[in-house]
Amino acid sequence: MLPEGAEDRLLANANIIADACQTSGVEQWDLIGFQSYGHQLDIEAGKITMAAGGGEGGFGVRVVDGGRFGFAHLVDVAGAQRAVEQAVAIAKKSPSVEGFVLPSEQPAGRVGGRLDRAVLDISPEDLLEQADGVLSEVKSLDERAVVTGGGLGVSATAGCLMNSEGILSAGMTTSHGIGLQVSIEVDGKLTSSYQGQSSRSLLPEIPDCVSRAVHWAQVTQNPLQVESQPVDTPVLMTSEGFSPLFSMVVPSAMTGEKMVRKESFWSDKMGQEVLNPTLSIHDDGLLEGGMNSGSRDGEGVPRRRQNLIEHGRLSGMLWSTRDAAQQVADGRIDAASSTGSASSGGHQSPPSTGCTELFLTSSKQGMSMDALLQHMEDGYVVNSVMGAHTANPSSGDFSVTTSSILKVEGGEIVGSLKQAGLSGNLAKAMNGPVVLGDEVRRQGSYSSGSMHLPNVLLMDGLRINPA
Amino acid sequence: MVMAANQNDGHRTTVGRYLDQDKVRTALDAARSFGASYAEVRVVALTESSVAMRDGVLEKAIPGQELGMTLRVLADGAWGVHSTTDLASLPDQIESTTRLAKAVAKRRSAGERPKALAEVPIIQDETHWRSKLDVRHTELDQKMELMNDIYRGASGHDDIVSVRTGWSDEHIHTELMTTEGMDRVWSFQRSLIHGMVTARKDGEVVSYRTRHGGQGGLEVIQQADLVQLGEEAQRAALRLLNAERAPSGKLPLIADKDLTGVYIHEALGHPCEADLVAAGDSCLDGKLGQKIGNELVTVVDDPTIMGGYGAYPVDDEGVNTREKVLIKNGVLTEYLNHRETAHHFGVDPNGGARAQDGLHHPLVRMSNTMIHGGTHTDIDELMEDVQYGVYACGTRGGQVDTGRGSFQFAAQEAWLIENGELTRPLKDVSVSGLTLEILKNVDGLTRDASLASPGFCGKGQTVPVGDGGPVMRISEALVG
Repeated sequence: MLPEGAEDRLLANANIIADACQTSGVEQWDLIGFQSYGHQLDIEAGKITMAAGGGEGGFGVRVVDGGRFGFAHLVDVAGAQRAVEQAVAIAKKSPSVEGFVLPSEQPAGRVGGRLDRAVLDISPEDLLEQADGVLSEVKSLDERAVVTGGGLGVSATAGCLMNSEGILSAGMTTSHGIGLQVSIEVDGKLTSSYQGQSSRSLLPEIPDCVSRAVHWAQVTQNPLQVESQPVDTPVLMTSEGFSPLFSMVVPSAMTGEKMVRKESFWSDKMGQEVLNPTLSIHDDGLLEGGMNSGSRDGEGVPRRRQNLIEHGRLSGMLWSTRDAAQQVADGRIDAASSTGSASSGGHQSPPSTGCTELFLTSSKQGMSMDALLQHMEDGYVVNSVMGAHTANPSSGDFSVTTSSILKVEGGEIVGSLKQAGLSGNLAKAMNGPVVLGDEVRRQGSYSSGSMHLPNVLLMDGLRINPA
Repeated sequence: MVMAANQNDGHRTTVGRYLDQDKVRTALDAARSFGASYAEVRVVALTESSVAMRDGVLEKAIPGQELGMTLRVLADGAWGVHSTTDLASLPDQIESTTRLAKAVAKRRSAGERPKALAEVPIIQDETHWRSKLDVRHTELDQKMELMNDIYRGASGHDDIVSVRTGWSDEHIHTELMTTEGMDRVWSFQRSLIHGMVTARKDGEVVSYRTRHGGQGGLEVIQQADLVQLGEEAQRAALRLLNAERAPSGKLPLIADKDLTGVYIHEALGHPCEADLVAAGDSCLDGKLGQKIGNELVTVVDDPTIMGGYGAYPVDDEGVNTREKVLIKNGVLTEYLNHRETAHHFGVDPNGGARAQDGLHHPLVRMSNTMIHGGTHTDIDELMEDVQYGVYACGTRGGQVDTGRGSFQFAAQEAWLIENGELTRPLKDVSVSGLTLEILKNVDGLTRDASLASPGFCGKGQTVPVGDGGPVMRISEALVG
């Protein structure tokens, strides 16, 4: 999949931009480059509808002079000189941040599991065969089930980061992903479920998400007739249902910048209990095989494992080099330094602060799904929500909709609802009685980073509003 | 090499094109010789910039040049696609991409129809929507000054803790060549300015967002009273600090133009996308010609509305654009189509093919989507009959499950309506419902309809869109 010499070509091109930086005479510079190649299949209406492949990439260059920075991005290094000149011109108009200098070389450990040669060997034909198998599996699980959307893909990415202070990091990663929308229509009544899974290494031929998608399309059939009456109730959110809200609200609240600017609902609460005391949150930038972990962050600083909330108490926050320097210079905090949390979403923007691999854990033994239902007694199970992106990250308030919801009475699932509203404040709900499940699944997110979440039972603070 | 470089622009040929027409024709001929029934090469060159400021201070300014090319091959009734930033690699990809299409075609079952494209006029031309004030020539200082107008309006109150402002503009240049002989070049620009005001009091943190923009250059931004936009955002953020949580339940709802636009985008626009209909993932499948809404409701999608954020001169399959009337007096009249779905449904393409950029293939997408105005004079007349309901304004976005026909959208702020009067401010109002139920519940529209603030639509790919309409009353909606 990866053309021979791709990594070398990327580095050679990066050196052309580095030369342009040095020619420009700026004090410091850093640059990132990516080149990705991959194969992808689209599935619609139970069929493979398109096979695609290709490669894309580009470079982002940042110059720093007297605490001022400028940035530009480009695809072709023929435009390197122009891009550097643009970045320099912008730096001249930018405010100087006292103490902002690019990081120097520090030793960084290797993080394994991010490249699987078996993924590199996947051909388009292999992917087509896997898709055939997935479509057959869906039919075998339920003859009525149809994959109405989604697809499969593999990719390999060569990346590099270098700066004027001697940092040079280059490497390759792979990924293999699948996403499926499975629908079941009976007598004109349609239910559906979207489930996905991705990994740095080769996924099983039939990943777990396939059966989950069929299961949720099945169990939401034949909805109960219920009165449209809002009720404050315990809600058991599956990892898939919880992740969109959690990732919209929690990671941004833990960035140092938002904390000290008082834009986080956890501002001024360092050391205080902000979550249920059984809960902890940590960001593991060194996670083996992580989708967002790695030896260095987007500025070249070694990544680390960082505790953010320990036994319910706020204990840490996330910083990039520039954000830390900015907030110290502005006098909002006495001292701050990079936590290796500069994330680079791609070559088109300079590094920002974000999490990598965020884990929600409990000091108590996780419960099985059945045990969680028994613990809840009466309430609802929610497996997906619509509109999580409308949640308010400043307050934690949200009001979303779900069509993947089950009603629970006496610890037993009694049926589904056609549609319901779900609202509350996530930060407050997680500060109340919370019980976690025993199986952690990695989820994508609305923010930077992966969310590693179990099923989460929130006993207080949520409202269900059946349609 | 497909490209020929010169000194002025690293990728332009000597005739100002990114594609070397002779070499692309040769490549497309090769696709035919390998068995393709159709092939196209589309290149998009983006010259873009974005700026972010906080509290009047520049945080970052990002200029950029992006170039991408997509080769799409239809062979044996199936698609193979290759996307790349390496334009010179095109000739090497023709055979493998055609082979890919054939591999997909082999999996088609006996009863399945091969994919094909509806006929369209084969055009060779250039269409350039020139901006009055080209964004590529707009200096950073000028952009910052305009952004600071919003900041000046929004700041200056003890409870306002930050004012973030942002800018983005892009010049989009597209070239399309096909085996049918289509050879079109088009270009246009978009500009957007936005602000986010955050207020904090007694531990409560709220934010309010404002946006202005559209198709065009600097003149689009200059048309707005940006200080006033900032002032309105400040007032809204301060109101939200003291707002109550919204009541939950099925209630009468009045939506302003912004929210009406998002409602019609989510609830109707997406289910009208014919690729979803053909895939069995739309609640409007089989409902053409049927009455699905109150006869007050007429909805159009129109990329030819100059200035609309979703405007474009030519669709990404080279098809001329036109207004699509999706609902006429409550009756579903037309889906949004690209060439493949038009063939599937036996209709003419209507210019609904859009790709995010040169690295993505075209999907069926909306452009500027609006409900036409109705008969009510103003919001007061709409509220007269409402004993207990909600007036919701501004949008924080929405989402739809097109198959089930269920949707959700969220307002930036709202008021309680009691006995025909606005009483208390509300926050965190979201509205959900089922397309086929809610369209029938629209029972009042003001006369004046227009596009509201610009937005973005995600469907695997993100494209700019315009939404709007009049002020709308829904007799019953699930408010949460």
